[in-house]
Amino acid sequence: MSEMWINMGPQHPMTHGLWNLRVRIDGEMILDVDPEMGYLHRGIEKISEDRHYNEVITLMDRCCYVAGLSWEHLYILAAEEALHIEPPERAKYLRMMCDEFQRIGSHIMWYSAFVQDIGLMTPFLYGMRDRDLILDLFQSYTGARMTYEYMRVGGVRNDLPLGFTDQARKVLDWLIDRFREYDQLCLGSTIFHRRCDQLGVLKANDCITHGVTGPMLRSAGVKRDLRKDRPYAAYDQVDFDVAVADGADVTARYLVRMEEMRQSVRIVRQTLDWLDRHPGPVIAENLPRWLGAPYAPIGDEGYLLKRRYPKGVGFSSVEEPHGEAQAYVVNEGGEHPYRVKFRSPVFANISAARQYLVGYHVADIPPIMGSVDICVGEVDR
Amino acid sequence: MQADDLARALAPKLGGNFLGAEPFAGTAGRVRFGRDGALDLFRTVRDDLGFAHLSMVGAIDWVDHREVFYVVWSDGAKQYALLSTDLPAADPHVESASAVWPSANWHEREAWELVGIEFDHHPDLRHLLTPDGYAFHPLLRSFRLHEPENLEVKSRHV
Repeated sequence: MSEMWINMGPQHPMTHGLWNLRVRIDGEMILDVDPEMGYLHRGIEKISEDRHYNEVITLMDRCCYVAGLSWEHLYILAAEEALHIEPPERAKYLRMMCDEFQRIGSHIMWYSAFVQDIGLMTPFLYGMRDRDLILDLFQSYTGARMTYEYMRVGGVRNDLPLGFTDQARKVLDWLIDRFREYDQLCLGSTIFHRRCDQLGVLKANDCITHGVTGPMLRSAGVKRDLRKDRPYAAYDQVDFDVAVADGADVTARYLVRMEEMRQSVRIVRQTLDWLDRHPGPVIAENLPRWLGAPYAPIGDEGYLLKRRYPKGVGFSSVEEPHGEAQAYVVNEGGEHPYRVKFRSPVFANISAARQYLVGYHVADIPPIMGSVDICVGEVDR
Repeated sequence: MQADDLARALAPKLGGNFLGAEPFAGTAGRVRFGRDGALDLFRTVRDDLGFAHLSMVGAIDWVDHREVFYVVWSDGAKQYALLSTDLPAADPHVESASAVWPSANWHEREAWELVGIEFDHHPDLRHLLTPDGYAFHPLLRSFRLHEPENLEVKSRHV
């Protein structure tokens, strides 16, 4: 047989976004792969240099379109450190709730897309139906279903509407039953196992040398979760377990994500209880006006005067649904960040593609790449 | 692990290329090093200090020089550390970390095309996010955002 390069993408059902996987094949065997990114590069890091600190939040929603709130949280943490601002306690819990709802939403989105990749249509529809409940909750307090712009440097934009926590608990009760249904649809199916077991194996050592994080790393048996190892927001105040599996294959990644959703439900329940008991401010007092405290009259001195602020550098790291995201914000004392740099977990996970694709068959590519959970928006930025 | 621990472990190995370790909020500290000692530093940090995981390589264009920083993570200490080196703007090159941490590969490709840092002995220094033949480094402060460019974009595989 003769070898050849084929392009899977930029428009291919497997890609879930705009990117191109070049594959060198011999018959059905994969000999080499070369992922090509950049089709969705919008220069978010460059645009950020030209914006006020709070205006960058808008870009974060566009960074990852299924986990906007997690990315807002990431940027906010770094910006607060660079600007020396401390948010109130209630804001931290609200952000944590956002993060965990977002994780469930993102994982359900992954589940829907992944099962469709391996040929199951019904679970896709179930997943989209259940994710809508979470989007409805987001809409009730952020006003949007996809681009939230909810978090602010120094806190969050607004508090929860009346009756939100009861509604959220109902949604969680509904979801936890659905997760069992998801498992029955997949793990109970022989076809699922024959398509996923022992596929795309990436052992713990390879994960670490190639920078792979998140559910892919935990599926290889490494118990590493920034929410436990380096707690931010209020994760040290809640009780939950880190989901791990030891198969290091596609099925193990499925199991890890499913367990993570159950753990997220646990976290959100504790957070809702806390929020019920502790009313209070949701944004820090005495913010500089150009940071956009909710009471600041726009056009007042805040936007016209050149405020000076102590210089600083902020570094933050968040366990995003896809893995470990990092932000580095340099504040040189002006109104705009001097430099913003993001680390996308999917970026690193795709860069290791050669390690978990070579040696398998062409027909294995959709389940393997599906199990990576790709969001091209955050890879290209 | 604190900045002092980093300094104690690294200063004897690197000699004159170790320029200091300072505290950095949320991490074990930030190590400043001269670019000639890059490979020694990477090996020591990975093998002796246990920072087996390279998370990110980023570059900053300062007014008079450029900076490359590396974020590494240790599973044992459960901590990050930052390594950073300053490069002259006229000749911004540094040894690639890909030989020590293969995960540096794509991050360095990105820093090369966006900030114009040359990484010596990089296995595969190609464009990643911008088109092949794109002759600009958009994240330099000298890059004009609003001027039209005389831009020819080549297809990657013809």
